[in-house]
Amino acid sequence: MASSGDTPRGPALPDPGTTQLSRRTVLKGVAGVAGLAGVSAFLAACGAGATTAPTKAPAASAAPGGGAASAPPPAASATGQVTVGSNNSDPAPKKGMQLINAAFTQATGVAVQMNTVDHNTYQDQITSYLQGTPQDDFLWFSGHRMRFFADQGLVTPIDDVWSSVKSNFTSAFATAVTGNDGKVYGIPIDYYPWAVFYRKSVFQQHNYQIPTTWDQLITLSQTMQKDGLIPFAFGDKDGWPAMGTFDILDLRLNGYDFHIGLLTGKQKWTDPKVTAVFQQWAKLLPYCDSQFAGLTWQQSADKLIQKKAGMYLLGLFVSQEFTAAGSPADLADLDFFAFPYLGTQYDAEKALDAPIDVIMMSAKSRSLQEDMANAKAYLDFWSKGSTQLIMFKQGTGLIPTANDTDTSGYSALDKKAVQIVSEAQKITQFLDRDSRPDFAGANGMQSFLAKFLANPNQNLMALQTTIQNFWDSLPPET
Amino acid sequence: MTAATMVTGRAHRRIRPQRVLLHAFLIVTAALWLIPILYAFYTALRPVSDTIQHGYVSLPSALNFNNFINVWSLAEIPYYYLNTLIVVVPGVILALFLASLVAFAVSRFSFRFNVALLMMFTAGNLLPPQVIIVPLYWLYLAIPIPEIIKLPFVGMFPSDNGLLYDQYIGIILIHVVFQTGFCTFVLSNYMRTISKELNEAALVDGAGVWTIYRKVILPLCTPALAALATLEFTWIYNDFFWALLLMESGAKRPITSALNNLQGSFFTNYNLLAAGALLAAIPTVIVFLALQRQFVRGLTLGSTKG
Repeated sequence: MASSGDTPRGPALPDPGTTQLSRRTVLKGVAGVAGLAGVSAFLAACGAGATTAPTKAPAASAAPGGGAASAPPPAASATGQVTVGSNNSDPAPKKGMQLINAAFTQATGVAVQMNTVDHNTYQDQITSYLQGTPQDDFLWFSGHRMRFFADQGLVTPIDDVWSSVKSNFTSAFATAVTGNDGKVYGIPIDYYPWAVFYRKSVFQQHNYQIPTTWDQLITLSQTMQKDGLIPFAFGDKDGWPAMGTFDILDLRLNGYDFHIGLLTGKQKWTDPKVTAVFQQWAKLLPYCDSQFAGLTWQQSADKLIQKKAGMYLLGLFVSQEFTAAGSPADLADLDFFAFPYLGTQYDAEKALDAPIDVIMMSAKSRSLQEDMANAKAYLDFWSKGSTQLIMFKQGTGLIPTANDTDTSGYSALDKKAVQIVSEAQKITQFLDRDSRPDFAGANGMQSFLAKFLANPNQNLMALQTTIQNFWDSLPPET
Repeated sequence: MTAATMVTGRAHRRIRPQRVLLHAFLIVTAALWLIPILYAFYTALRPVSDTIQHGYVSLPSALNFNNFINVWSLAEIPYYYLNTLIVVVPGVILALFLASLVAFAVSRFSFRFNVALLMMFTAGNLLPPQVIIVPLYWLYLAIPIPEIIKLPFVGMFPSDNGLLYDQYIGIILIHVVFQTGFCTFVLSNYMRTISKELNEAALVDGAGVWTIYRKVILPLCTPALAALATLEFTWIYNDFFWALLLMESGAKRPITSALNNLQGSFFTNYNLLAAGALLAAIPTVIVFLALQRQFVRGLTLGSTKG
C-alpha cells in the first residue's frame, strides 16, 4: 500500500513514511473535491467496470469543507489507481507529468503511481520492461516502434478509447497510432517537426533570402561561406542527427512510399534511388560543419546561437538550447523554413519528419485487470488539449496534438510548426522510429551513415550492399 | 605531501637531477589526473547560458554554486544517496561476513575439498555477469519473496510486488553473490599468512571454532577487511548494471540513475550534470579517506608477509 506516486520530493532527506502520509491525505482531499466538482458523468462512463482497488478511505470521508451532500461522489469510480511508466525524467517534463497526474487525480479521484525512468535507460530496456512488470500505461513513440510491440502482443489495443476521442485528432495522427492489424494502440500526445532553422537577424543582416530550391540553397551556402559563416551547423556525435538529413533527401528525391518501404524492408538499399540520395547529400556536405563527428547537436546549436553558423537542419527541440541560452531575444530570433524542394514529382507531398510521442497501454502489467477502467480514463485524459497544454507550458518545445488545444499561448515558432506539419501531405517519424530498432541502432544505420560521412566520395554501391546485407542478416522481427 | 616533506628534510643534501626529474614527472602526472576533475568543477560553477553563449573553453562571466544547489533538489541527490546506501551497506557487510567465513574454513583447516572449495569460489570471479543476465532476469521474475525476508527497511519502500525482481533485497543478494568470490580469494590468502600456531594455542586454551574465528582470526584481518570494504564499497556504489537489469522502478535505482535523470530526451544541461556527478562522487571519496590508513596497510602488509 506504500504508494508514493514517484520518488519523494523535496531537498530534505525524505522520510518515505511522512511523504506518503501527507500525499495520501492530499489525495483523499482531492478525491472529495472531485466528487464536488460534479465530474460524475465522466467518471461513471469510464469507471463502470472498476473493481475497487484496496484504497483505505472512501473518497468522500476526507472532503474538506461542507457541501458534500450536493453532489455525492461516485461510488466505485473515484477509488483505485493507475500506474504509469514515464521516460520524462529531466526536470521540466517531469514537472509536467506531475502536474498532469495531479490534474487527473483531481478530475477523477484516481491516484496515479508514476514510475519515472531516465530516457536512455527507458529506451534501452523497453523490450524487457514490457515483458516484465510494466506499468498500466506508458509513454512511447509512434510509428514502427509502436507497431513492433503491438505485433508482439506486448501492448493492449485501445480502440474503445480512441473511438471516443478520435474527433480530436487529424487523420495523420490516426495513421500514426494504428497498428499493422488495423487496431489503435496509442494516444498521440505531442510532436515536433524537422526543418531548417536559422536566425532571423543573421538573414536580415546579410540580406539572405529563404531558399526554396536546391540551387538557391547552394548559392546561399556559398554566400554564407564568403561571409565567414558555416552554412550548415551539423553535429553527429550521437549518431542519430544525420538520419534527419537522409530522411529529408530521400523524401524529396524518392517520395514517402519509397522511403517507408526502404525502412521496412520492402525496398532494397542497393536501389539506385538510394545512391542518388547519397550523391545529393555529398553535394551538400562541403557546406556542413566539418567538425560534425565530434559535436553533439547541442554544441552545433550553440554555433547557431553564437552566429557562427547560418542554418541548421534539426527538430524543433533546438529551441530548448535557445531557451537555455538565457536570452529571450535569441529565442525570438529563431525561425525555420521547410527544406528546399528538389524539383521532383514528390515536392507536392511536402513531406517531413515530425515524430509523434504517444501514450500506450501495456499488456503484461500485473495490475492492469484491476486498473483497466482507470488506465483507459488516463489515456482519455491525455487526449485533451488542456492536458497536453500542461506539458507544453513546461517549455519542452514539443507541440500538443489535440485539435482542441488552446493555441493562444503559442509563440510564432510554435504556430509555424503547427502550420508546416498541417500542410504536409505525408509525415514520417524519423528514421529510427520508422524502422526496426536493431537496424537503426549504433551497429546499423548509425554506423553506416557515419561511414558515408567520413568519405562521401567512396564507392557508394559497396556501402549500400553492406547496408542491405546487414538488413538481410537481421532475424525476423516477430 | 610526503615527498615534499622529504625534500625539505634533506635540504642540506645535494639535489640530484634524477630527483628533480622524478618530481617533475609526479607533478605532471598528478596534474593530468586532476585536470578533468578541476575542469568538471569549473564547468559546474558556470551557468549553462554562459557556456552556450561563449563555449566551454572560455573565461567565465559568472561563477556560482547555483548548479550544485539546483541539482541537489532537482535530481533529488539525497534521496538517491539513500537508495544507494540501502544497497551498498548491507551488501558490503554481508559479502565480507560470508567471505570471511569461507576464507576461514578453507585457509585455517585442512580437509579433503578445501582447495576445490576455494577454487570454486575464485572461479566465480571469472564468470562475466553479462553471461547470465537473461536467465537471471527470468529467475528474478519467477522467485517470490518469502514473508520472512521482508526486512523492515525493505518494506518501507513502495510497490512491493512480492517478487525478487525490482526489490532492494534482490540487488543486495546479487551483489553479495558476485562479490563473495573475490573477497574469499583475498581473505583466504591473507589468512594463510597468519601463523598456524595461533590456532593451536587457541585450541589448547579451549577455544571453539567460532571463538577462534571471532576472537583470534577476524581481529587480525582488520587491514584486509578495511581494504576490501573500501574496494567493495566503491564497486557496489558505482554499479549500475544490476540495478538496471533487475529493477524496474526508477524511484528505487541508485545514485548513478539520478545523473541519468538529468539527461533529457534532447536537451541536457551539462553544467548541471557536472555538478551532479561531482556530488555523486563524494561518498566514495569519504569512505576512502576514512579507511585510507587501513587500505594502504592492507595492501602492503599482504605483500611483505607473503
